[in-house]
Amino acid sequence: MREKTIGIARGLYYYMYYPMWKKFFLELGTKVIVSPPTNKRIMDLGVAYSVDDICISVKVYHGHVKYLLDRNVDFIFVPRIVSEEKHKENCPKLLSLPDLIRDTFSIEESRILSPELYFNWNRAKTEEELFKIGVLLSNKTRKEIKSIIRKSLAFQKTYEYYLNRGYNTLELYPRLTNLKKLKPKKMKSGILIGIVGFPYDIYDGYLNASILDKLKKMGINYVVSNMLNYKLINRSYKFLNKDLFWHQSNVALKAGLYFLSSKDIDGVITISSFGCGLSAIYTKLLDIFNKERNKKPLIHLVIDEQTGEAGILTRLEAFLDLLKIRKGREIYV
Amino acid sequence: MSKRLIIFPRMGNSWISFKTYIKNIGDIPIIPRPLNKRVLELGVKYSPEGICFPFKVLLGQYLDLFERLNLGKERKVYIISLGGYGPCRFGYYNALHEKILKDLGYKNFEIITVEGIDHPFYRGFPKFIKMIGKLFGFHPPWKVIKGFINAGYKLYFIDKLEKLAYKIMPREINRGETLNTLNKALTILDKAPYNNLRKIKEAYEEGVEMLKRITIDKKKEVIKVGLVGEAYMLMDYDNNREIEKKLAYLGVEVDRSLRTSTWASDRIIFVKKHKEHMMKIIKPYLNCFIGGDGQESVMNTILYKEKGYDGVVHVLPFGCLPEIVAKEILAKVSRDIDMPVLSISLDEQTGEAGLITRLEAFVDLLRERKYKQKEVLV
Repeated sequence: MREKTIGIARGLYYYMYYPMWKKFFLELGTKVIVSPPTNKRIMDLGVAYSVDDICISVKVYHGHVKYLLDRNVDFIFVPRIVSEEKHKENCPKLLSLPDLIRDTFSIEESRILSPELYFNWNRAKTEEELFKIGVLLSNKTRKEIKSIIRKSLAFQKTYEYYLNRGYNTLELYPRLTNLKKLKPKKMKSGILIGIVGFPYDIYDGYLNASILDKLKKMGINYVVSNMLNYKLINRSYKFLNKDLFWHQSNVALKAGLYFLSSKDIDGVITISSFGCGLSAIYTKLLDIFNKERNKKPLIHLVIDEQTGEAGILTRLEAFLDLLKIRKGREIYV
Repeated sequence: MSKRLIIFPRMGNSWISFKTYIKNIGDIPIIPRPLNKRVLELGVKYSPEGICFPFKVLLGQYLDLFERLNLGKERKVYIISLGGYGPCRFGYYNALHEKILKDLGYKNFEIITVEGIDHPFYRGFPKFIKMIGKLFGFHPPWKVIKGFINAGYKLYFIDKLEKLAYKIMPREINRGETLNTLNKALTILDKAPYNNLRKIKEAYEEGVEMLKRITIDKKKEVIKVGLVGEAYMLMDYDNNREIEKKLAYLGVEVDRSLRTSTWASDRIIFVKKHKEHMMKIIKPYLNCFIGGDGQESVMNTILYKEKGYDGVVHVLPFGCLPEIVAKEILAKVSRDIDMPVLSISLDEQTGEAGLITRLEAFVDLLRERKYKQKEVLV
C-alpha cells in the first residue's frame, strides 16, 4: 500500500497548530506535504480564486490550497477550529474555512479532512474528531490511535512552553524534532518592541515585507504577541467594559494592553491585514487606551496585496528612530 | 422619577414602533435624522477605518443628535441598542460606541444594551437584571406589556404596508404614486394614538384602503427578485440607496427576505425552531454557525429558487464578516441551483450611477432568461 499524502497549507492556523498536526500525521504513518512559503505565484492564485473583499490572509490561504491540489495530494487538511477558549468564538471566515475551500474549488467531500477542533476546552470532542481521521488514514488499533492523539496534543503544549521561553514560531518550526535541547533565550540589552497581531500576518514574510528579519538585522529585540503566556496576560481590565469574543483578537488585544502598560517595552507595532474586521476593533481600543494612559509610541501597519517593501521599511525606520530618540540616544546622520 | 430622554437607532420605518413603546412607558423618544451627508461624515470621521458600514451610520446618528440638541454633556441621555456575543462584530458595537463617544468628551450618557446573559454567570446575571430594569423603567408591569403589544402591532402593520406597497409599485401607472401613498399611510399610522390598539388597527386599515385604490396595470409582466443580505442594510432604505424602489421602477417585484417583525420572531422568540430549519437547508453548503445574517442569506437564496423567483440580489456592507463568507458560498449555490445572484457591497463611497447600471444589466439578464425559457417551452 502506498503512503497517503496529506497536504497542509502554509497559512492561517498553520502558524499556530502545525506542531500538533505534524506529530499526529507522522505517527499515523502518512506523508505530510506543506506548501512552500508564500510567493508571487501563490499570492496570484489566491487572489484569482477568492472573493474580492475578503482579507488578504484568507486569499493567500486559497492560493496555498490551490498549489497543493495541483500537486495531487490525497487529502487536504483544512480543520474547522470552532473555539480556542470557553465561551469564545472565532472569526466567521475561519469558522467556515472548510466550506469556503470546498465550495470554491469543488473538492469532493471525501478528499477534504475537516475535523471540528476545540482547543483548551472540550477535549473529548477534539479527540473524537481526530479519532475518526485516524481510523480513516491508518489501520492501527483503537488503542494506538488514542495514544497518538494524546501524544500530539501534549506535543502542542510542549511547543507552547518553548514559545514562552523567548523563541518565536519561525525559530521553533525547524527544530520541532529536538525541542528538548533548547535553552531559554537571553535577550540582548537595547530597544525592546512588542509586535501585536495574528500569527498568520506576522510570520508570513512575503505579506509583511519580512519585518521580523529586518528587525533582527538591525539588532532590535522584539516580543510577538503569541509568545506571551495567555493565562498570565488574560486578566480583566477596568478599561474594557466587554471582552472581545474572538479568541485570537482577544490574545492580540490583551497582549497589546500588556505591552502598553509594561515598563520594559519601548514601543508597540501592530500588524494587520487589510479587510480584517477584527483588527479594526482592537487597534481602535489600543489607540484609546494609549491616549488615556501612558503615551507610548504605537504604529499600525496594514498589509495588503499591493504593499510595497519600501513603504513599510520607511515607516519602520522612522518609528525606530523615534524610539531611539526617546530612549535618549542620539542619531548620527 | 423624571422623564428620561431615550435615543434609539433609526432603521427604515421601524422608528414609528419604537417611538410608540417609549411613549407607552412614559419617556421622551428622540428620533435620529435619516441618513444624510452630515451624519455620514461624522460617523466616518470618528470610526476605525476597517469597521463595517452600519457601525459608522449608527455612530454618525448619535453624534449628530448630541451635537444638534446639545445632549450628552449637561443633559443625561439614554441610548437603546442591541448587543450580543456571537462571531459577528455587531455584538461589540455598544462597547466600542461607548468608548469612542467618551473619548470625544461626551460623558453624560448611558447605553442600554439589550442582550443575553454574559459569561461568567455570577457577573453576567446582575448586569442582565440591571439592563432589564433600565429598559422597562419604574413602571407597573401592565404598562410595559401594553407598550410591547402596541409597539409590536405597529411593527407588524408597517411591514404589511411595505410588503403591499412594493407589490403594487412595479405595476403602477403613475410613477411615484405608490411611494407617496405609502408615506401618507405611514404618517397616519404614526399619528395614531400610542395607547389605543383599536385606533392603531383603524389607521392600518385606512392605509391599506389607500394603497388598494392606486390604479395598476394588471396585465404587466413583472419579474420576481428576492433581496437577501445583511439586516441593517436591507431594512434601512437610506443605507441600501433605496434599492427596492430602484428595482421596482425597472419593473421588478421585489421581496425582501428580512423584515423587522420576522427578524424579531426568528432571532428573539423562536430561535431554536428557526435554526433547525435553517441548518437543514444549508447543510450541503455551509455547515457551521457564523453569526450575523450570513446563513440566512444562503438559506433564503435556496428558498427563493423553490418559490420560483427569477433572481436574487445580495446586499452587504463592505467588509462584513459573515456576509463575505455568504458571498463566496453563494457563487457555488448559484451554479448548483441555476439561480442568478448579484452581490452588491455598499459603503460610504459607492456612487449612485454605478449601482443603477449594475441593477439594470442584471434585470435585463433576468428578463432575457425568462423570455428564452418560455420560447423553449413553446
